[in-house]
Parts: sequence; C-alpha cells; structure tokens
Amino acid sequence: MKRKGFGFYLRIYIKILTQDLKSKMSYRADFIISTIGMIFTNIAGFVSFWILFRNFPSINGWSYHEMLFLYGFSLISLTPVQCFFDNNWSLRINVYNGDFIKYCFRPINLFFYYQSEVFDVKGLGQFAFGLGTLIYSWGKIGLDFTPLILLKMIVFLITASLIMIALQNAAAATCFWIQNSFYVMDLVFKFKDYARYPITIFTPVFRFVFTFIMPIAFIAYYPSLVILRPDDVPILSWLSPLIGCAFFWLSYKFWMFGASRYNGTGS
Amino acid sequence: MKLKKYLSFTRIGMMESLQFRLATVVIVIGNLLYLTIVFFLWKAIYASSGTDVVNGMTFSDTLIYLVLATALFNFMEMYTVWEMGRSIQSGKIVLDLLKPMDYRKLLFWSYSGSFVMNFFTTFLPTFIIVGIVTGGAIPLKLNLLYFVVSVVLAIMINYSIDFIVGTICLFTESIWGINIMKQVIVLLLSGATIPIAFFPEPMKTIVLYMPFQSIYNAPLTLLLDGSPDMEDVLMILGTQLFWCVTMTVISKLFWKASLRQITVNGG
Repeated sequence: MKRKGFGFYLRIYIKILTQDLKSKMSYRADFIISTIGMIFTNIAGFVSFWILFRNFPSINGWSYHEMLFLYGFSLISLTPVQCFFDNNWSLRINVYNGDFIKYCFRPINLFFYYQSEVFDVKGLGQFAFGLGTLIYSWGKIGLDFTPLILLKMIVFLITASLIMIALQNAAAATCFWIQNSFYVMDLVFKFKDYARYPITIFTPVFRFVFTFIMPIAFIAYYPSLVILRPDDVPILSWLSPLIGCAFFWLSYKFWMFGASRYNGTGS
Repeated sequence: MKLKKYLSFTRIGMMESLQFRLATVVIVIGNLLYLTIVFFLWKAIYASSGTDVVNGMTFSDTLIYLVLATALFNFMEMYTVWEMGRSIQSGKIVLDLLKPMDYRKLLFWSYSGSFVMNFFTTFLPTFIIVGIVTGGAIPLKLNLLYFVVSVVLAIMINYSIDFIVGTICLFTESIWGINIMKQVIVLLLSGATIPIAFFPEPMKTIVLYMPFQSIYNAPLTLLLDGSPDMEDVLMILGTQLFWCVTMTVISKLFWKASLRQITVNGG
C-alpha cells in the first residue's frame, strides 16, 4: 500500500506532465494561437459587461465592479477544470474507438491516470486574466485585504472549482452510456457563462433549480459572497466547501462506475 | 440535373442527423436554459433601469432579438472550421479534393441536410416559444418574408467566413484556437451577445460597417420591425448582398491560392 501513497502519485503525475508538455511544445503555433483564443474569449466577456453597464448603472442592486468581481472569480475557479481535467473532452472519442482500454491495464487509479495525461496550458492565460479582473474590482469596490480574507478566498475558490470539475466529470462519463456525449459536455460547459450572474435575478423557483438541480450558483455566486458581501452571507455559502467535496466525490464514483461498465470495442 | 446531385447530399445529411436524436433533445434543453437565463437577466436589467424603452428597444424586443440570435446560431453553425481542420490533419481532405465537385460546394451541401433538420427541431420551436412568451410581440406581416430572404443571405455570409477561417487552418494546423477566435468575434460583433443598439457610439458605427452584423443583426432587425420603410429594408438587404458577394469571392480566391501550397500528411 505504501507504494501508492500521495508521493508516488505526485511523482507519476510530474513525469506524465513533462511528457505532455514536451509533445505540446512541438506544435508551438497551435499553442500560441490557442492561448490567444482563450484570452479573446475572456476579453469578449469583459467587453460585454462594459457595454451593458454603459447603458445601465446597476443590475438588481449589483454594481459594475461587483459583477466584474463575480466574473473574475468565476474565471479563476474555472482554471483547474481547464488545466487538469481537459482530457475529459477526449473521453468519448477514446471510448468510441477503443483506445480507452489502454488505461484499464495500468496498476494505478484509472481516473487519476486518465486525467493526468493532459495538462492544458491555455488555462493559465485565463487564470491571469481572471486574477487581473479580480484585483482590479477588489480595489475599486474597496474590500479589505487581510491574511484571513485571503485564506477564505483560496478555500472558496477551490470549492467553486470542485463543483465545476464535478459537473464536467459527470457530463463526460455519460459517454459510457450514450454514444455522443459532446452535446452534454457542451451544455455543461456553457454553465460557466451563466455562473457570472447573481442568482438573485431569478424567481424563487429558478433559484431553487439553479442551486440544487443544476448547481450553477455554486460556481461563483455562493462562494464569492463570503468575500464580496461579508455582512450578509447565506448559510449555503458556508456550506459550499462541503457541497463541493461531496459533488466531486459523487462525480468520481459515477465516472468510475461508467468506466467499470466499459468492455472495449474489440479493436 | 446539377441540382439533383447536390440534393442527394441534403438527403443523406438529413438521414445522418436523424441518427442523433438524443443530441437534439440536449440542444433543446440547452436552448431552454439559455432562454431562461436571458429572460431573467434582461428582466432584471430593465427593472433596474426604470424605463420601458432603452435605446429604442423594449424588453420583448431585446428578448426576441437575443433568443432568436442564439436559435439562428445553432441553426447556422455548421462546424465548417472543425470539419476542414480535421480533414486537413487526418489527410481525409485529399479524398474530398479528388471528387468531381468543388470542395466548397461539397462541404456546404453535405451540411444542408442538417439545416433542414435543425430548422424544424430547434429554430421553429424556439420561434414559437418566444412568440408565446412575449405575448405575440413578433409582428407577423410582410416582415417574415424579408426575414427569410435575410436569413438565406446570412447563411451564405456565415459560410463564407467559416470557409475563410477553415482555409487558414491549412497554414496553422491549429483548429481550437482559430475556431474559438472566430466564434467570439462573430458572436460579439454581430450583436448575438448584446444587441447592437446598445453599443456605445463610435463602436456602434464601426461594427455596422463590418460584415458580421449582416449575420444576426440584419435578419433580426427586419423581423422586429412590423411596418418598415421600404428604403430601410432595401438598405439592409443590399448591405447583406454586398457582403455576401464580397465574402464569397474572397473565400473562393483564398481557397484557390491556398490549395496550391497544401501539404497533407498521409491520408
């Protein structure tokens, strides 16, 4: 058992990661264009907020800078899913053409091995953009900055990330049952665009739906309230780290359950 | 007789998309979700603004505009860039180039089947739902005819832009980055994210001189105006026709020039 401790997995991860980065570096043009494309997407999100708030001073009691804070927060929390779990997008292709079988024969955790194979560098561009937006809006709103707040910030960013990772894992794993899971993944991937709006704009019915059925509100709204509106934090915000962990665990089990049903294509 | 050759591609495309019924269901769910978010977001925006008409658009106008823009996007999106990029990378493009048919036409007509299917499965239901939700705010007069003509032109402009971007893939061998850049630029500058009427002044004028607004802004403007001036209609359709011809010529010439220096790895 000792062989498979945390250190063991970390060493393997770094080894696989270096190989992946080496192979990516041989397509340098693709790497640069993808990074620019990623930054384009983020700038477009920024510009649409800017245009919107040129016409309206505030939306539902939320100011321009508060909305930017939410946007920056969501961008950072989406970085881990982009960087570390991008191989989920290839899952359906691997399952479809039979390549997935190679992962089943390794003496290490299947989920870990599969996800470790790809590290998506362009996520780092998004991280930088998100961090810039967050710091800018942080200063403009005039929020406090203490070590405790920083700690809270990190904890709740991780929480938010876990939710998005969980959603994507679950969406990717549907390909073990249905053939073309691209549309399911695309649907979940769009959740990230909806995460940047405060949930208070919805009627109670839809607030319930977006909190418990499609947990979009946990990707940015609930976790960020802890920092953004510290005087009035709903109980769901405090619970979100727990919910994040639970979601991640469930999605992992779901993914592994799907993988255990896999029996190859015979090629 | 020539048309028969192309229509057989349409038929095959229709049969192909009937194979993916689940995908249609997921897309419809995704559209409904988007509809919900857009509805509440703009409701909150209009509630905060205090007036009913902003930049000449009422709440129903904005809702119809944005939701139908998305419906049009789903309807028109042909994944041309992906298709071309993948054929180039895998070498499959050689087989298509050998066919006794212009590649540009081949690609278009093999997608035309999905056009027909998408029209009935996604566009028409969305159109009807929006019409009901907004309480019949879509004028059902001669403007429907202008709209149809305008959409046909928009499809051709969109396809030409896609084809130009796809041709760039011949040189860069990067698909994801190029495609996301195109998508972001088109969606933002065509008014599909925020209606062009809301853009601040210098930006608005610049955007109206670009080809992108002919894809979404033009047909939707025609649709929303129940009793337009003939002059305006001709102006909009004329602009579209201009861009349609220009982009078609550019895409043909660019493809012809690029084809001479194509290198295909295997196949």
